[in-house]
Amino acid sequence: MDASMEEQIATMPVPEKTKEQLRASIEGKAITGDQFSTITAAVITEYERTRIEACEAVGIVAAQSIGEPGTQMTMRTFHYAGVAEINVTLGLPRLIEIMDARKEPSTPTMTIYLRPEFRGNRDRAREVSWQIEAAPLHEFADITTDMENMQVVVQLIIAQCEKRKITPATIMENSPKKIRERRHYRDFEHEIDEAKALIRFFPKDIESYQNLFQLADHVRNVIVQGINDIVRVVVRKEGEEYVLYTEGSNLKDVFEVEGVDISRTRSNNISETADILGIEAARNAIIHEALSTLNEQGIHVDVRHLMLVADMMCMDGEVKQIGRHGIAGEKESVLSRAAFEVTVNHLLDAAIANEVDELNGVTENIIVGQPIQLGTGDVKLIAKPRLRV
Amino acid sequence: MESYTRYERARIIGARALQISMGAPLLVKTEKIDPLEIAIEEFDQKVIPITVKRKVGM
Repeated sequence: MDASMEEQIATMPVPEKTKEQLRASIEGKAITGDQFSTITAAVITEYERTRIEACEAVGIVAAQSIGEPGTQMTMRTFHYAGVAEINVTLGLPRLIEIMDARKEPSTPTMTIYLRPEFRGNRDRAREVSWQIEAAPLHEFADITTDMENMQVVVQLIIAQCEKRKITPATIMENSPKKIRERRHYRDFEHEIDEAKALIRFFPKDIESYQNLFQLADHVRNVIVQGINDIVRVVVRKEGEEYVLYTEGSNLKDVFEVEGVDISRTRSNNISETADILGIEAARNAIIHEALSTLNEQGIHVDVRHLMLVADMMCMDGEVKQIGRHGIAGEKESVLSRAAFEVTVNHLLDAAIANEVDELNGVTENIIVGQPIQLGTGDVKLIAKPRLRV
Repeated sequence: MESYTRYERARIIGARALQISMGAPLLVKTEKIDPLEIAIEEFDQKVIPITVKRKVGM
């Protein structure tokens, strides 16, 4: 491949990705100038062929292209996705979840990528994972309920603290505070014994066993290390680097952890992605999630169909569901909404509010009996003065 | 204009065929009887005095 070919590729009217694929496929091959122009011409015609003509009914095509293979999806699948025993909802339930724009997916998970300093080494990756995985106090200590003296005794296990890179002092300082702030339980006193790595908790009401047991429960389960929503972290080697997979999702707090590569880390919680990273990130998340859910089932749908769906869902700056409370139910046009559900109410409300229907959409024009703005219906003819040759 | 989309093509030929069927003078010499076929022939020879007005971005 010489410089003139490279220049020709660079100026071809095709997307960058196609250019890259072309470069990769002719790399290192002896190609004559003639052959090269045949190839480029074929690439350009092939590319033109994949493009959509103006006035094409892309929405209908997208609906059918996702719907038809969708009928072949397994109805109910709660799989263990290949990723180290973390349970993820897949198949049709997951697809429905995405399209419904649920606030919280039934199995939130994150894929956390690490910064260069951490990604190559299993132990460094593990260190990051300790900072993320929520660990309750009972993982660091022996907790006994002393009923004779009405107290809860927490004996920290130093070895465990060292293993998870947290000092006993921090735990002793944080745990009473976190019980108060995070668990909203305040009816207790505490006493710290630094030397013995011991904390004693006393319920306010010395007479009540119920309070003692309640306190013991809070002490046992208070999260002293990691992020609250993240129940479990699995470290897995993916190619050259270590990647963390989590059960539970909390983008905001995970981004604060040292060693996390913010630019690649993703969550399967779309509304959270929209809140933290913005609507464009949410659009990409919808595309990625829907595509990977379909591909996992062995169904291959062109991305452009899913991109259209994602664009529609994110068009107004927030993630809207497909259906009653989203795209279909909040359409601009009165007639279109009336055609969808509760016809009379919509018409009545529109009349009261003095709404105007611009008749831009398909449904409205069908209702009033006009040609729709699609295909030949959207072509405006004008007279062309004849050229005298 | 680069080229017509299939919808534009259909629309132009359709409009022209209607004119021909109502007795408009032909712009090509032909043996054909069917106005639609005549319109297609005229379209292929690019003599139909009709074009399209496109919206921005099309």
